[in-house]
Amino acid sequence: MIVFEDVTKTYDPGTVGLKDFTCHIGKGEFVFLVGPSGSGKSTLIKLVLKELVPDKGRILVAGRNLTTLRRSKVPLLRRNIGCVFQDFKLLPNKTVHDNVAYALEVVGEPRRSIRRKVPEILSLVGLAEKMNNYPHEISGGEQQRVSVARAFVNHPPLLLADEPTGNIDPDTAVGIMQLLVRIQRTGTTVLVATHDRDMVNRMRRRVLQLENGCLVRDERRGSYDQVAEEVAE
Amino acid sequence: MRFGFFLGEAFGSMRRNWVMAMAAVITVFISTAILGGVLVTRDNLSQGATSLKNRVMIEVFIKDEAKPEAVQALEKKIQAMPEVKTYTYISKDEALARFREKFGERIVANLPVNPLPASFEIQAKDANTVDKIAQQFFTDPTVDNDPGTHNGVKYARETVRKMLGTIGLVEKGMWVTTGIFAAAAVLLISTTVRLSIFARRREVEIMRLVGATNWFIRWPFVLEGFITGLVGAVLAAAFIYGGNWAIANWITSSDINFIDLKVYPIWWRAGTWPAGMLPTLAVIGALLGALGSLVALRRYLKI
Repeated sequence: MIVFEDVTKTYDPGTVGLKDFTCHIGKGEFVFLVGPSGSGKSTLIKLVLKELVPDKGRILVAGRNLTTLRRSKVPLLRRNIGCVFQDFKLLPNKTVHDNVAYALEVVGEPRRSIRRKVPEILSLVGLAEKMNNYPHEISGGEQQRVSVARAFVNHPPLLLADEPTGNIDPDTAVGIMQLLVRIQRTGTTVLVATHDRDMVNRMRRRVLQLENGCLVRDERRGSYDQVAEEVAE
Repeated sequence: MRFGFFLGEAFGSMRRNWVMAMAAVITVFISTAILGGVLVTRDNLSQGATSLKNRVMIEVFIKDEAKPEAVQALEKKIQAMPEVKTYTYISKDEALARFREKFGERIVANLPVNPLPASFEIQAKDANTVDKIAQQFFTDPTVDNDPGTHNGVKYARETVRKMLGTIGLVEKGMWVTTGIFAAAAVLLISTTVRLSIFARRREVEIMRLVGATNWFIRWPFVLEGFITGLVGAVLAAAFIYGGNWAIANWITSSDINFIDLKVYPIWWRAGTWPAGMLPTLAVIGALLGALGSLVALRRYLKI
């Protein structure tokens, strides 16, 4: 699903985003991306979305070679990737329903199927009753569920989550993670960048650990920290 | 294209950001009103000038001793001139009758003979050709010129020259003013649109992340600009129409109208504008709004 080959991305004043990064994420996997701030997690996610272009190396996403992908095709790539962010990124002046519907409007989904799909996905994330509320009227956890619903309403083959539980209390965070796992069970590849140690340790999934832009660990059924002394943050 | 969806988005965002929308409408209104005001004044002036020009007349006096055949030959000559619009023959009797009307019976009664010559009154098609027409009578034997002069041909030579110069200057000045205000309008509109889009750059960012194509993001903004521009320009057009009408009425009913200035109260289908000036103004406003949106969006649509 995602292939990185020797990818390097440096920001303007010589700051390293990602360095000689190589990895392979298969279809339907659930992968945690861990590491301290500035280790390159967000850079990696932005590269997958082609928000950034690598200086060196090759990136394949869902069979597309991003290095040769034309700019006009970028929107098509993004429609195949669901995105969930720490700050939810909901449109503040649209209702919960319209926020989710927007992702469908974008791909030119017929009005009729929008009317069917949006309530369906919203009841899946448990927000059927808040459909006509605005984002500022619901809690952070609920907003994140709207954002997950929007990311998944197209049933994309790949879902990226950048610190999805960063702004939410731990109990609510568990709900969000369960939602992501349910999405993965439908065959979607899920990549989660996170700081949430408890979550990673509890779930025992594949873990990719980044440090200064380099991949330092790739472990199946891994935990957040490999060594005990790294716990001190 | 999902026109309904885009239109809904445009109106929705205008309703939500109504302060910004109002500011944009007022900006378009003010700048188009100024622009339109300048254009209307220019058109009014140039039409007034044309009517003034058309009233410039050449008088050609005929020698008393001229034979009827000679007078007919002169008339033929006038007829043959392409620059001449109309002409009238004023006989000696008619000239006297006019004189009597102007100065009273008493003076006329004391005259032993009729001293007034017969004449042709000639109107040129174009005031610029008055000189050229007049010159053709300077050496005509039938015309009552004193030897060595051409005092048998009378026309307001200096007046014509000065008038043409002034009108030309005023027209040039008006064009310059028009240009300045048009440029100001474009800048004002694009700044306003840029401000309103800057306020919504987060929205645009999210649209891009969800996979919206650039045109999918653009359409609502462009429609919004179009509607804003249209509303502002239509208001301005109505304002100018009303203003022009009021001023026209005031001039005709007051003493200012000393030179019999014609007023042109209707601008719907008049002047040099193929579809009428006000509709043109409205369309220009709408296009300016749409263009402003496009230009302002460019920064936020780089992938």
